[in-house]
Formats: sequence, C-alpha cells, structure tokens
Amino acid sequence: MYGCIHACQPLPPGVVLVDLARTFTPRVEAVADGTVLLDLQGFGRVWPSPHDLGQAILAAAAERAPCVAAALAWSRRTALLVARSRPGLTVVPAGEEAATVAPLPIASLDLPEDRRALFERWGLATLGDLAALPARGLAERFGPDGPRWRRAARGEDDQPLVPAPPPETFSCALELDWPVDGLEPLSFFLARVLEPLCAGLVERHRRAAAITLDLGLVDGSRHRRTLKPAAPSADARTWRTLLRLDLETNPPKDAIQSVAVTAEPTPARPVQFSLLDPAQPSPERLAETLARLVDWTSTGRGGAPRLLDSHRPGAFVMETFAPQRFVPKLCRSTTTRVALRVFRPPLPARVDLQQGAPAFVSASGVRGAIVERAGPWRASGDWWDVAWSREEWDVRLESGGLYRIFRDGLRESWFVEGELD
Amino acid sequence: MSPALKESLEELLRARRLQAEAPPLRGEDRRLQPLAFGVAVLDGLIAGGLPRGALSELHGPVSSGRTGLAIALCARSTGRGALVAWVDPADRFDPASAAEAGMDLTRMLWLRGSKSSSLPSALSALGTVLGSGLFEAVVLDLAGVAADEMRRLPNTSWIRLQRMIEDSPTGLLLLASSHVACGPGGVSLALGPARAEWSGAPGPGRLLRGLSSEASAGRHATRRASFSLDAV
Repeated sequence: MYGCIHACQPLPPGVVLVDLARTFTPRVEAVADGTVLLDLQGFGRVWPSPHDLGQAILAAAAERAPCVAAALAWSRRTALLVARSRPGLTVVPAGEEAATVAPLPIASLDLPEDRRALFERWGLATLGDLAALPARGLAERFGPDGPRWRRAARGEDDQPLVPAPPPETFSCALELDWPVDGLEPLSFFLARVLEPLCAGLVERHRRAAAITLDLGLVDGSRHRRTLKPAAPSADARTWRTLLRLDLETNPPKDAIQSVAVTAEPTPARPVQFSLLDPAQPSPERLAETLARLVDWTSTGRGGAPRLLDSHRPGAFVMETFAPQRFVPKLCRSTTTRVALRVFRPPLPARVDLQQGAPAFVSASGVRGAIVERAGPWRASGDWWDVAWSREEWDVRLESGGLYRIFRDGLRESWFVEGELD
Repeated sequence: MSPALKESLEELLRARRLQAEAPPLRGEDRRLQPLAFGVAVLDGLIAGGLPRGALSELHGPVSSGRTGLAIALCARSTGRGALVAWVDPADRFDPASAAEAGMDLTRMLWLRGSKSSSLPSALSALGTVLGSGLFEAVVLDLAGVAADEMRRLPNTSWIRLQRMIEDSPTGLLLLASSHVACGPGGVSLALGPARAEWSGAPGPGRLLRGLSSEASAGRHATRRASFSLDAV
C-alpha cells in the first residue's frame, strides 16, 4: 500500500513533509514541494486497519501544516491523484483505483498543455473519459505516450516508488564523565569518536573532506576547529593525528567536558592503479606530514616553488606541496649544471672598477680581488609596475669562489646575488 | 601465455616490484638501486650512486659544484616520479637553477629557513620528512650555515637521523663545506676546489662555460675522479 500527503497551502517555514513522512517509513519519495509519497508495504501487521494508519499520518501532518490531505491506495498514482483532489483522508480499497479516480478532472494528470487542450476539444472532461478510450487507438495517435496516459487515468503505476536517499550526517559525540585537561588523554577520546565515524563513512563508501571538532569546555564555551586536508580520508588514525597536531598549535583554553566530531562527506575517490605508472604517495600520509610541518607551511616557508613567467631574477611563489599524478615525459632530460646559491636578500657590496669592469668586491662574507670575469649582461623590466634594471657579472675571486654580482641600475649600487656552485 | 609475453610481464613485475611478498622471480634483484648523480665517473666512484637508507655527505669549498650535483640527483629522482625534499636552513636554494637542471619542482618539498628559525628546528622538520617515508631523496643543505651554529648541535643528531632512515628507501644527503657526518652505509664524497672554464678571451661577450673539479671518496680519499658541470 502507498500513501500520499499533500499540502493544500504553502508550508510554514521550516516544515519539510519528507521529514514528517520519514517518521513513518524510510521509503519516501518527494514528488513536488508540497507532495510526498510513502511506501507503506507491510504496515498491515502494525496498524489494525489502513484507516487508522491514514488517520495517524493525517494527524501528524496536521500538527505541522494548516491544510493537508492524505490518501492511501494500492497504487502510488491513485494515492497521488486522490490526495491532490480531495481534502482530509481518503482510503481507496484494493481494486477500486480506476473507479475512484474516474470522476477527477483530466487536468489532474500532468499532461503537456497541447495534449490537454486536444483532449478537451475531443470532449474528454474526466479521467474516466480518458480511461474509456481504446489503448490501441491512443497508441496509434500518440505513440507510447497514449497508453501511458490511459494507464495513469486508470490509477495504474508505470514505475516503482523511487525513495529519496536519507540525508547523510556523519557525526559522533561523547560526553565525558570527568573533564579532561591535556592533549594526551584527549587523544584516546578522539579515537573513540573518530573510529565509529570513519567506519560509518567507509560503510557508505564515503570519505571525509573536512572534519569539524567541537569541544565543550568546562567554562561553558566551545572550542571549534575545522580541518580540511589536501586529500579526503576515512582513516581514523590519520584524522586523530591531524586533530592532535592542530590542537597542539591551537589548544583549548580550559578543560574539556565534551567531544563531538562532524564529517563533511564526499564520495570515495576510485583509484585505478596501473602497472605502468610508478607508485603514488599515500594522500593520507602526505596530509599528515604536511600537518606536522604546519609551522613551515603556514608561514610560506614550506611547499613547492613555482616559477613565475617573468624575466625578473628570483621570481617564484611558494605553493602548497600537492604532487599530482606522475606522467612520464619522453623528452624530459636532466643535466648536471652549475647552480646558483642565492643570498636572500642580495648582499650589498662595494665594487672597485678598472676600465669599467669589476676588479675588487667587498661584501659580508665575500671579499677579494677579481681575477676572472664575464659580463656585463644587462636586463631590465617591469617598467609599468615595480621597475628593475641590472647589470650582471659572473666573477671569480682570487680565493677561488665564483659569484654572480650585479649593479642595480635604478639604485646605482652593487650587490652580490649568489654563489655559483 | 606465450614465452615472450610471460617474459615481458615478469620484467614489468621486476621493474615495479609489485610482488613484494612473493619469492623473487628468476634473475630478480630485490635490492633498491642507489641514487645516481648522473655523472658516470662520480657514480662509479661510489658504487653506482648514493646508497639508500643511509646518511651520506657531499662536502667541498665554495663553488666546488656541491649544489649542482645535489640538484642533478634530485632531478633524476623527480624524473622517475619520486618525491624529493630539500631542507634549506640558510634559504640558499634557487628554484630557477633547479628547473634548468630538469627538476620537476612540483615534486619537491622545499623547507626554507629564515633568520628567526634555528638549525634544530630544521633538523626537527627533517626528522618529520624522513619519518614520512614519502621521499626518495632528502637533501639537508648545511653549506650556508654558520660554523658556530653547527658546533652547537649535539653529536647524537646525526646518529638519530641515520637510525630514522635505516631500512628505508630514502637517501639522505648532507651538503656542507667540510666533513660533518656520514652513516655506516653511506658515502662521503669530498670535492676539491673547482676550476672555472670560460667561453673565450676576456672581454665583452664572454661566458662562464662550466666548472671542473675533482672528487674523492673513501676514508683516506684513495679513490679520485674528475668531473665537470655545465653553466650554459
């Protein structure tokens, strides 16, 4: 048996008929904003009669909405049509579906506008009129839609009820008998809430994209932290480590009375491993490692550098270290080259010139006569923004060190940029 | 299954080490290959490259080619799809030089020191990096660190680091100006003063073509080899 609840007027704010229907059965289909279908199969063993069940549904709905109608029938189509057209409770006995819906106007069916106008021109006023037409003739004129409309006019179902999935809330809370002070004992309680939470996620083939930790403190305040690592995870150990590391950085200001965690679910990412690709790093372990290095990463001192599309020397930005899937490049070649060891910032230097070329350099930690040199190599740019202009020299000092020095053309001063190594 | 197909499948399993629990295949060598610098004479000097699971060092004076060699080693690792880490307490690493050498910068974790951060905090971060087991090569650049700061480190630091990477596939390389530490299974590669090579006669248009240096390995520097690095 199926049931249908229909709100004749717009629902008050906050009232959701699906939630009301779920108090009776988990198999619920939301047809429209104010109409919901219920699968009531097997309820005859619980309720003495369909009428009692309908009365209970109607009473529960009437508590929340001012004007509701309910119908119970052995087909979902009949329940839907009757609830939409009759106030109060209607229980349609088995086998009387077609007769019950026959007097209803043809506008009760969700027909295309042109077809409804055509049926009116044919003189069809009720569903009974449409149901009385021969199925073969309707099929010849309208194709497969014709018999389908006829079956609907007889209150017959074309498809089963499609239940709406229940909302996924993944949370777990724990009220402590005694307040806990310190992260070490809290770690055990974190495990107790995270393990069932992650088990629930895995059962539903979900991962947590973020987890919110809500700690109730003894002074009545709340300490909330939300963690969103680079990769979703349903590993309780990883989440416990991440939360503990975060709490070490942001400790609660008082002892802890209650612990609650809420996960933001996301579908599990299917990973297709390949024989031909190298093994990829575990996202969980990577997230855990980066969380342990939060002192470095949060201040921009840890990550992966990305070179900027600029001729300005040393133009790069630090980005989050998140290596993507490796794609072997056939043309990638590595060479053994001299590298620059940069001084940040460049060392201010005093440079003596002979015939326009540097002959002696003196800076903090770099001092000596220049015995060999190559240059000058002039470059400038960004005149529209923060302009720069420089004249570079690669020089070898008598001590043996090779350095790159440059003269800033805008500031008219010399600097040691780095050591060539 | 045809013999050729079986042979190619076994070759693939050997290369990818996909049967860790199964007995070795015919001709399979389960030992991990050392991390090569890509300079044949140098790799030959240290039995194929930097050993994994051991603390090694590469030391030499200013402009001896230490950084270029370390970058070459990391570039080869990233070219294979592995991850590398560069712990840089003095913040001297140049990403542009690394990119020119072919390093995939997206697969390198760079931890940059600052004036306020100390060497012990860098070593602590290094411990985290090594403990993760994610990285094939890890470089600790001590070449720009002041000598008195190095002296303040407890000697047990290097023993602790060696213990952390034992039996792991990670190779740890110390980059320094002089000998610092070397694990029991590691190699100590000492570089001599380099000779600069220029493109022509002194004057405008001259370029630094590269560096030529000599490396020695072994307790008494008995094994020696010359190598060169390109600059252009």
